[in-house]
Amino acid sequence: MNALSFGAPAADADVIVIGAGPAGMSAAIDLAAAGRRVIVLDMQPAPGGQIFRALEANFADPETGALLAALGPAYSAGKALMQAFRATPGIDYRPETTVWDLRADGTVGWLRGGAAGYLRAPQVVLASGAMERPTPFPGWTLPGVMTAGAVQTLIKAGRLRPEGRIVLAGTGPLIFLLAEQLRRLGVKPALIARTDRLRDKIAALAQLRPAALPAVVKGLDWLARLRLAGIPMRTGITELAAKGTERVEAVSMKVSGKTLDLPCDLLVVHDGIVPSVDLAHCAGLALEWRDSEASWRPRTSPDGRAELVPGPSLTAGPCRIRISGDARRIGGAEAAIAHGRHVAAAILGAAASDTAADVRQAMAARGFIDAAFPPGLAKHLPADTTTVCRCEEITAGTLRTQIRAGATEMNQIRGITRCGMGPCQGRNCAVTLARILEAECSAPPVPFHARPPVRPLPLGALAGLTGLDPELAQVVSLEDKPVAAGDDADE
Amino acid sequence: MFTPIGSAEATITIFMDDTPIPARPGETIAACLLRAGLSRFRTTPVSGAPRLPYCMIGHCFDCLVEIDGVGSRQACLSPVSDGMRVRTQQGAATIDGVSP
Repeated sequence: MNALSFGAPAADADVIVIGAGPAGMSAAIDLAAAGRRVIVLDMQPAPGGQIFRALEANFADPETGALLAALGPAYSAGKALMQAFRATPGIDYRPETTVWDLRADGTVGWLRGGAAGYLRAPQVVLASGAMERPTPFPGWTLPGVMTAGAVQTLIKAGRLRPEGRIVLAGTGPLIFLLAEQLRRLGVKPALIARTDRLRDKIAALAQLRPAALPAVVKGLDWLARLRLAGIPMRTGITELAAKGTERVEAVSMKVSGKTLDLPCDLLVVHDGIVPSVDLAHCAGLALEWRDSEASWRPRTSPDGRAELVPGPSLTAGPCRIRISGDARRIGGAEAAIAHGRHVAAAILGAAASDTAADVRQAMAARGFIDAAFPPGLAKHLPADTTTVCRCEEITAGTLRTQIRAGATEMNQIRGITRCGMGPCQGRNCAVTLARILEAECSAPPVPFHARPPVRPLPLGALAGLTGLDPELAQVVSLEDKPVAAGDDADE
Repeated sequence: MFTPIGSAEATITIFMDDTPIPARPGETIAACLLRAGLSRFRTTPVSGAPRLPYCMIGHCFDCLVEIDGVGSRQACLSPVSDGMRVRTQQGAATIDGVSP
């Protein structure tokens, strides 16, 4: 018994894939090659996800030699996957399409330009990737403060290189990769300020597996090249702050107990990446909090099958969603490609022992990387004067005041303060508010209730919605709200 | 803050607050405006503080601009097109004929 059997609109495809990064592309290729009709919805204008962003355009242009050389082999490695994705018949690729609703029964709300609607399929592969871990620090909303991923996007898709006095701050392999790409582009940062320390690496050695050695060697090679290029690097920095009025003018930090101030035109921050859980959460799928990652991730089986949070649900029937790639577990492009194939094999009912082994192999370095680069900028909760919610400009102090006045859960605080109610819908503040609540009143971290649309939907597009299931549009009561992970435990 | 890598083959034009800006087909509005050296894309509805793009991948919503009369559009997700009219978004988005 499920929504599809009650006279709802027919399925639009055998599988809907959300996201066209490494995981989404590899799943779509294998599914379509096996004869399945696949619709791929992609927020970006071309396939590739963030890692292979604008790869086709950069390869098609004869003048991008220097750019491709700077981006390195890990970027060019996506070419074969991209070609296979374009060449496989049966993939209905829809770029510039945002997904603003996802239901566990396989219903997907989409928006493209001014048109919106619902699609449905008996299987959905959610491969919407990752985001950078939110890192509230003083001045992080100033123009001229950007994430490392943003700068990489501007290099790949904007063919732009940063200039001026550049400071890279934070932790994680992406800091080194970006610094190395900048070096190849002839850009010399004024400072690489790392939160991680040598003792993190020593502790991480316990996690080191032979299969992780190539990643470690690559990292050490980047490091050596950066040192050779004379780029100053400090480790164990704390208390990062961006200063300025209309834009960032200087940064300050604590290094070995001393305050370091330096002028700065562009502060690039990075604190590792975490799964994007917005759509999984919208669909009422179970999330699990990871203290070591200071974030949530969806609860899934090894082949990506998601589970519904127990309790009331927006949809009837079994959960038809599988989650793949970085949206499930952070592992990078190779792991995402392997997992996309694994999910496709599981959907096709094929013996998936080979693909499972590939996933394990591709994830082998992860334990070491996570231990060597623990959350740094986000390690300590922000001070009272620091903005937590960028959209509504709400400080940690305002949130703590509400909690000390008796507020005990996320939705209550959202209702009182508007924290999480702005256009980003809590993507940048939910983890921090959840951690502040945990610290103040030992409440387990539970996200805001999420209800569609989880991305902006113009009224004109809503008015012309296609593919609407009349049953879906009936609101019987507000008791059908999906309950977040952990919510049901004490009921 | 940003300069082109290689030649900037800007063959089309968009208008930012009525000022013509050369644009490359296929690039996003955000990349185009950062290359042009814009100091702000929008001001916040709460304090009026200036903002520029922060994440560039559609999560932070700090790149909101008005595109061809429609407010609160994400410049990092929207490709340029010839003759497009973009405006800085001052505070909350407004709708023509609807008073806030």
